[in-house]
Amino acid sequence: MSNELNLDYSLLTPEFCLGGLAALILALDLFAPRFRKEWLPYLTAAGLVAILVLSLGWVNKESDFAGLIFIDNYTTFFRVFFIASTAVVALASAHYVQARLSNPGEYYALLVLSTIGAIYMAASRELLTAYISLELLSFCLYVLVSFSTSDRRSHEGGLKYMLLGAFASALLLYGISFIYGSSGSTFYDEIAAAYAGGTDGFELGLLMGLVLVLAGLGFKVAAVPFHMWTPDAYEGAPLPITAYLSATSKAAGFALLLRLFSGAFMPVRDDWQWMIAALAAITMVVGNLVALQQSNIKRLLAYSSIGQVGYMLMALAALSSASASALLLHLSGYVITNLAAFICIIAWYNLTDKEEIRGFRGMAERAPLLAAVLAAALFSLSGMPLFAGFFTKFILFQAVASEGFLWLAVIAVTMSFVSIYYYLMVIKEMYISEPEEPGRLQVPVLLSGLAVALVAGVFYVGIYPRHLLEVAEEATKLLFA
Amino acid sequence: MDAPVLAASVALEDVLIVGGALFAIGLYITLAKRNAVAVLMGIELMLNAVNLTLIAFSRFVDFSRFGEGTRPIDGHVFVIFVITVAAAEAAVMLALVVAVYRHRQTIDIDRINVLRG
Repeated sequence: MSNELNLDYSLLTPEFCLGGLAALILALDLFAPRFRKEWLPYLTAAGLVAILVLSLGWVNKESDFAGLIFIDNYTTFFRVFFIASTAVVALASAHYVQARLSNPGEYYALLVLSTIGAIYMAASRELLTAYISLELLSFCLYVLVSFSTSDRRSHEGGLKYMLLGAFASALLLYGISFIYGSSGSTFYDEIAAAYAGGTDGFELGLLMGLVLVLAGLGFKVAAVPFHMWTPDAYEGAPLPITAYLSATSKAAGFALLLRLFSGAFMPVRDDWQWMIAALAAITMVVGNLVALQQSNIKRLLAYSSIGQVGYMLMALAALSSASASALLLHLSGYVITNLAAFICIIAWYNLTDKEEIRGFRGMAERAPLLAAVLAAALFSLSGMPLFAGFFTKFILFQAVASEGFLWLAVIAVTMSFVSIYYYLMVIKEMYISEPEEPGRLQVPVLLSGLAVALVAGVFYVGIYPRHLLEVAEEATKLLFA
Repeated sequence: MDAPVLAASVALEDVLIVGGALFAIGLYITLAKRNAVAVLMGIELMLNAVNLTLIAFSRFVDFSRFGEGTRPIDGHVFVIFVITVAAAEAAVMLALVVAVYRHRQTIDIDRINVLRG
């Protein structure tokens, strides 16, 4: 690292704007009694879209802020990714928040603030910065998960999430302290340089550091055996926040893991590769098998997302430039698909108050568009051809197998077949079972429009995956430079 | 300046052992206690063990490759941030505990069990 620090604050403009947006939302909520609260989600989404356009100005640029935060294509990719998914969640929350939650201002402000944390998790190349960003995201999520005052599951889910999350942070920090002790630095490139010079004499400290860091981050992305909080937090959280948890918080965890392991721990690859491979294998198996016996749609999607984490960890175990771009591709496909599924569930829940799987009976008759989109999303999650899930999984499994982890790819394919069963259970309820009550439901234009837009994205990624893959390759190129 | 005396009598290993013991105690409390506030205290203990370890490393680790006489203060800065985050964590957690208590009249995490884990 050079002694001249680059303190160019303009690099961080999108995040300053996000902070400003959050402050504006809070201020409007507090000091402008004439401002109609129903407009908050639209204001949030409009602000986010403007910031998204702004952050496109950094495409193909490369710079760093004091060596702590790197603004390159990888960061830009995740900036766009996180801001877009937050905007979708904000819009999807509009009806839900108005009907069921108090204090909408805080809700949207926390949503926007958590996006800053997520972006810096992807952007930071220093352990302290990464840790602070992780906590910024986590704290916002703790509060958001326990946001509902009427649903008693919400506080309980939030408390469990927070206890386990704080515990995981302590493990992560203890791990970081050993990484710092064994390498003498908290900067990713200096850690890599220290380890490249041989690890004799601190092999034990390094191993402890790696195990603890993996355990701590494993909690955050919900890898088995650190997944206990996931189903409870997913079930307790307000529905749009469940969608947000499954999309942004997961993607941010992987953005951090990918940058950390490719940036700092590449020289000691032999020490951690088998750990992540083992984690990936049990995560896939447990996530998909436990999903089979769920009766609540939130819990079903919680376990299905744990299964998906297994696939993504696999790419991390077989870390190469091919598997990194495959990971980004799969992550984007998964988030688009999952958001589409959750928007249908939110719309259905707004109209019927049902979130049990058998509550979806006859959805095809009562809300045909929602049922079609949800079915498409579930097919995509299970990896059917034509849908996004097929190609992203195909490219991911291929990248993993070509790195010598054929056995992991075999488990992944097997578990994908298992997953078809529980996704089909939901589709069966929607299309074959008789509805409990007759009559068409009037779905708001906003939600059906969002659902259609997202499902169009699912097909786009499924049929023309090359475009997104090229973007992902561009984004990960520098990680392995 | 009594630093050289200290350095001679206390080795890195000693501090690390104390830190490890603190961390283990915190871990035990976190896993064994059923009261949410006690669990929080266990977590705080773990964070303090981390602080001790970080300080020890930044005191003892060989930084000669950064140039003669320079001593990065990463470890110390890290500790400041950990303390700050721990305080924020306690604030959010206690608020949550109060909210749960209002609903259930208990903060025993075994009895807060509408969700099935």
